[in-house]
Amino acid sequence: MTRAQIIITRLALLVLVLGAWELLPRLGVVNALLLPPLSQVLTTLVDLLGRASVQEAVAVTALEVIVAFVIAVPLGAAAGIVIAENEYLSEIFKPILFYVFSIPKSIFLPMFILVFGIGFQQKVAYAAFTTGFVVLMSATAAVESVRPDHILVARSYGATQTQILWRVYVPSMLPFLLETLRISMIFNFTGVMIAEMYASRTGIGHLIANWGENFQMPQLFAGVIVLSAVAIIFNEGVRALEARCSTWRT
Amino acid sequence: MSRPAPATVRWMLLALLLILWEVVPLTGLLPELFLPALSKTLAVLYSDRQIYFAALLVTLYEVACSMLIACGLGILVGALVGGTALLRDLLLPVFSSLYAVPIVILYPIFTAWFGVGSSSKIAFAGIYGFFPVMLSTAAGIRTIDPQFLLAARSMGANLAQQITRVIIPASVPTVFAGLRLGGALTIIGVVVSEMLTASAGIGYLVTLNRTILDSPRVFAGILAILVLSIAYYMLARALENRMVVWQSAGRPQRSTSGVSTVALPAPAAA
Amino acid sequence: MQHLANVTELRGRVQEAAIEVDGLSHVYAGADGGVAALVDIALAVGKGRFVVIVGPSGCGKTSLLMMLAGLRPPSQGTIACLGRPIPKPDPQRVGVIFQEASLFPWLSTLDNIEFPLSLRGVPRGERRRRSEAMLSLVGLEGFGERYPHELSGGMKQRVSIARGLVQDPPLLLMDEPFAALDEQTRMTMGHELLRIWSTTQKTVVFITHSLTEAVYLADEVLVMSARPGRIIDHIQVTLPRPRSYEMMATEQFGQLRERIWQQIRKAP
Repeated sequence: MTRAQIIITRLALLVLVLGAWELLPRLGVVNALLLPPLSQVLTTLVDLLGRASVQEAVAVTALEVIVAFVIAVPLGAAAGIVIAENEYLSEIFKPILFYVFSIPKSIFLPMFILVFGIGFQQKVAYAAFTTGFVVLMSATAAVESVRPDHILVARSYGATQTQILWRVYVPSMLPFLLETLRISMIFNFTGVMIAEMYASRTGIGHLIANWGENFQMPQLFAGVIVLSAVAIIFNEGVRALEARCSTWRT
Repeated sequence: MSRPAPATVRWMLLALLLILWEVVPLTGLLPELFLPALSKTLAVLYSDRQIYFAALLVTLYEVACSMLIACGLGILVGALVGGTALLRDLLLPVFSSLYAVPIVILYPIFTAWFGVGSSSKIAFAGIYGFFPVMLSTAAGIRTIDPQFLLAARSMGANLAQQITRVIIPASVPTVFAGLRLGGALTIIGVVVSEMLTASAGIGYLVTLNRTILDSPRVFAGILAILVLSIAYYMLARALENRMVVWQSAGRPQRSTSGVSTVALPAPAAA
Repeated sequence: MQHLANVTELRGRVQEAAIEVDGLSHVYAGADGGVAALVDIALAVGKGRFVVIVGPSGCGKTSLLMMLAGLRPPSQGTIACLGRPIPKPDPQRVGVIFQEASLFPWLSTLDNIEFPLSLRGVPRGERRRRSEAMLSLVGLEGFGERYPHELSGGMKQRVSIARGLVQDPPLLLMDEPFAALDEQTRMTMGHELLRIWSTTQKTVVFITHSLTEAVYLADEVLVMSARPGRIIDHIQVTLPRPRSYEMMATEQFGQLRERIWQQIRKAP
């Protein structure tokens, strides 16, 4: 299929899905109380975005996401680079990371709550905790992706350590770094959401959990749509950036 | 003095962790509220073992059911999408874009639809595991060396034989990786959903005990889950290694987005 | 150094053609009119002969082989193997060996060799008998229960050859089977191949890049031009058989190599 055909087919599928979302509840095929029609969800969405309480919640969530990210990335990256550079440490810690990734880190949420309470710090700490590991893993992979033969060539031409760092490592790792940021953000966002939904009095996650408990379905779906849209837009944006920077990568 | 083997160091770290877990609370460095002593935790786990065992059964049941969805559907759809050029070009980018959405925000929808019982957990964890397994399988299918099919054709294999005698055996490593991934993810999905809204299961126990500030019981639950997930991982890995002696069945993987979903051991967002 | 456009003339020279190709051309479909891969190929290969095709990269030799194997139909022209056309693969008539051994990693050596037989439903006992015979023929006795990941490159190719021979096809097509091997293994394998060929008396069409390999192995060498591929020369190699490594040092050997090289370099 050509690019045009693909785009058209996808749009057609999208229209189909959205159309079903509108029609099935309206026609009574699906219980409108459980799945409100798309139009109702959208009007609710617009209404919600205008409310101060919702805007506050958005601000809180956004702040948590950013702060957790800013904490997790440098720490995780530093740890990841240290591990990747040292073969001994690599051998010790890399198998541990595999185990770490199999564990539901949400199980530690109560620990964070016991220590920090249910406020801002707990959510940030938890999100940073979960994100940190992802950053670490990706940073390790990024460093290891730099080809030793490239480094060898640079050294044979007399490049200093700093030059090798900036002229070989950084360009080599740049697409990986962007991808790391992208994936870490996904995990970060998820971590914040879980914390907010679990035990919190502020934030979008809390609102969504609340709407769910009170069967306020139009609001719930509106919240889900907004969050999904934000997540996807951010993701695709960084992806586009990655593509620009990594034309040389196979 | 030569350095100890990495495996030994890991065991030492584990031992150190356990020792700290016991000593730090007992010496009052951290309040017992934050970190109850290991011995206390094990003690309540033992004394309440019936309760925990029952909860574990509920959790395992939910995990098993959602694995059926996540792995069963995930592998089938992944094989289909990955193996068909048309579906691949059409759908794969869409699915990997959707991966950016934190699935957990869908959970309240499931509780509203299915109630607080096991069904909502199974639905949620099933979906939670579905996407990564599907993406992983789709990528794995593409690593099957096309030369195999050429060789089979030249030996006179018809289409059915190509599928059953070549494609299916060559897909075994991918399928096992999908099973391992799916299991890990459904465990995570079930635990998260049990913690959020539930009436049974280990996650529920942890939340319940947290609200009454019963730290030893909270940590007993945490311990149970840790043991469960690590045990699963080790089992799945052991099985995979046994079944797939000839790991590199095809060309090295070229995932569409580099490191992402395929390279990470198990994208545990929770 | 005649251009070979006339097949009847060829037939006059060749008794009992195992392969006959006439007026074969092939164009690969593409967005802008397509790419001509082969133009007006005509050839005849006598029974029991060892014919080698050489040519620059991309000249279409592999495409030609795929057509001879029935894996791809030509845009134009006719192919007859042992007097009949070959619209789809027929492993009992034509055995194909590719550059990559493509042994199935989940099967043992013997199971790999038997694979074509099992596709046809040949009973187990008979399959084992034939595959073990092939295993001996290629000199890998005792390696039957090994798995491909335990074998070296040369051994894998031997298994691939055994697999191609297990149904005893009179015709064998080989597409640069030794290209992925190091030079020493190549020489050994070439020698082994000649031994197997003289024992089984099959007709072989062998593709290679290596001029040395071509002269060493062949009764006749067909030289192809760059894309679009035509046959531009047809060289008889009259070195005595059985061939030996020492022959590579002779003047005659060198002259034959030189002639091939000149043809390839000259080709437009």
